[in-house]
Amino acid sequence: MGLAIPNSKLCMWLFLGTEIMFFTAFIGTYLVLRLGSPDWPSDVADTHINVRLGGLNTFVLIFSSYMVVVAHEAMTLKDFGKAKKSLWITFVCGIVFMGVKGVEYYGKISHDIVPGHIAETEDQALRKLVNEFRESRDEMGRALFVPGEDGEVPDLSKISVALRGELSGATDESRKADLQAFVKLEDRLQNSFLIVETDPEGHQILSSDQARIEAARVAFSKLEKAATAAKELHAAAIAKAADENREAPADPGIVDPVPPTTIGLSAAVRRELLPLFEASHESVDREAGHHLNLHITGLLDEMRSEENARIAAFFSVHDPHPIKYGNVFASTYFIMTGFHAIHVIVGLILFAIVLKQGPALDEKWTDFVENSGLYWHFVDLVWIFLFPLIYIIKF
Amino acid sequence: MADSHDDGHHSHPPYLIIFWVLCIFTGLSWAADELQEFIPNMGVLAVIVLAIASAKALCVMLYFMHLKFERNWKYVLLAPTFILACGLPLALLPDVGVHYYDIDVPQNSIADRVAEMPEDGDAESHAPGH
Repeated sequence: MGLAIPNSKLCMWLFLGTEIMFFTAFIGTYLVLRLGSPDWPSDVADTHINVRLGGLNTFVLIFSSYMVVVAHEAMTLKDFGKAKKSLWITFVCGIVFMGVKGVEYYGKISHDIVPGHIAETEDQALRKLVNEFRESRDEMGRALFVPGEDGEVPDLSKISVALRGELSGATDESRKADLQAFVKLEDRLQNSFLIVETDPEGHQILSSDQARIEAARVAFSKLEKAATAAKELHAAAIAKAADENREAPADPGIVDPVPPTTIGLSAAVRRELLPLFEASHESVDREAGHHLNLHITGLLDEMRSEENARIAAFFSVHDPHPIKYGNVFASTYFIMTGFHAIHVIVGLILFAIVLKQGPALDEKWTDFVENSGLYWHFVDLVWIFLFPLIYIIKF
Repeated sequence: MADSHDDGHHSHPPYLIIFWVLCIFTGLSWAADELQEFIPNMGVLAVIVLAIASAKALCVMLYFMHLKFERNWKYVLLAPTFILACGLPLALLPDVGVHYYDIDVPQNSIADRVAEMPEDGDAESHAPGH
C-alpha cells in the first residue's frame, strides 16, 4: 500500500510544502510591513526598481519552466537527446536570470540602497553626507600616504599632519597636486557647516563650528538693527509728513532680514535665533532647507568637477535625501529576491548534475528530472508573485 | 510503482499553449503597469496584477506541475501548508499591518515636531537633529 507516486516525488512535494511556508513567511511579512507602514518608497529614482528587467526575468523563468516540462516529456519518451537539449536551454535561462538579477543588485548597491544605510529623515541624510565626505577624505589620505621603512600606517589624524607637512616641501609637481587636492578636500569638509556634534544630553546633532554660528548671529543682528532703524525712520517720516499735511513718503522697500540658514545650527543656537525672526517656524525651516540644498549641491558639484579630478577619483558621496521606510523596503527586497536567487542557484546545480551525465543519461534519471522540474516550477511560482508585488504595485 | 499522471487516462497537457497563455498574462501585467494613469487607483491595479499572477500560478501548478492529474493525496499534503502559510501574515496583521493606535515614528514626526517647537522654553527635545 502507499501513495501511487514514487517516494522521491512524495519527498519533493513534502519539501515543496515546507517551501511554501518558507516563502509565505517572507512574502507575508513584506505585505504586512508594507500595509502597516504609513509611507513606502515608490519613486523609481529611490528604489531603482526596473519593471522591464523584472518582466524580462519573468519571461525567462516561464520559458525555462516550459523547457523543463519538454525535457521531462522527452525523458518519458526516451528521447534523451531532446531532453538534454531542453535542459541546456533551461540551464542557460537560469544563468540569464541570475545575470539580470546581478545587474539589478549592482544598481542598488552602487546607489547604497542597502538595509541600514538609507537615510529616512533629513538629519540622517545630512549625517550620511558628512560620514561619506569623511570616508572619502580618509580613503584619499590613506591612498596618498607613503609608509615609512617600518611599513606602519598611522591613524588618520597623523596621516593628515604628515601629508600637510609633506606639502610644504613637495617638489614633484604631480605629488604636490595630489597633496593640494587632499588638503582642499579636508579644508572643504572642515569649513562646511555640516559637522556632527554631540550635545550635552548626548544626542548627535548637526552643527557648525562656533565661529560660524557667532558670525551668523552678528550678521543677522546687524541686518535686523538696520531694518528696524530704517522702519523707524520711515515711520517718523510718515508722521512728520502728516503733521505738515504733506503726502506720505514712499515705502523705502526695506524688508525684514531673510532668516539665515538655521538647520546647520545647534538646537540651542536655533532656539535663540528663532524668536528673532518674525516668520513662522515652517517658513524658516523651508528657507533653511533651501539654503542647505543649494549649499550641498554646490559642494558636491564642486568636488565632482573636472577641475577637482584628483578628488573626484576618491569622492564617493551620494546626493543626500531621505527615503522614508527605505530600510525596511531594502530589507524585504533583498531577503525575498535573495532567497529566490539562492533557489535558482540550487536549481542550476540540479540541472548541472543531469547534464553532467552526458551520453550516459538514461531512463533511470526520469524521476530526477521530474523532481528537479517540480522544484524549478516552484521557483517560477514564487517569482510569478514577486514580480507584481515588488515591481508593479507602488503605493 | 505506477505514476499517477502517466497511467494512460489522459494525454499530456498542451504545454506549448500553456506557455503562450503564461506569456500573454505576463504581457497583461506589464501593460497594466504601463497604463497606470488610466487605472483609477493603485488598489485596482494591485487587484488586477495579483489576479493575473494567481491565474499564472494556477496554470503552472495545474499543468506544468501536473497537479490537475494527481490523485487526492495533493489535498492532504498541500492543504495544511496552505493554512499554516496564511497563519503568519494573519498573526502579524493586528500589530504591524493594521494599526489601532497612531504611529509615532521619527520618519513621520520630524515635521510635526518642528512645527510644534515652542518659541521659548524647552525646545531641545523638539528640535530637529535629535
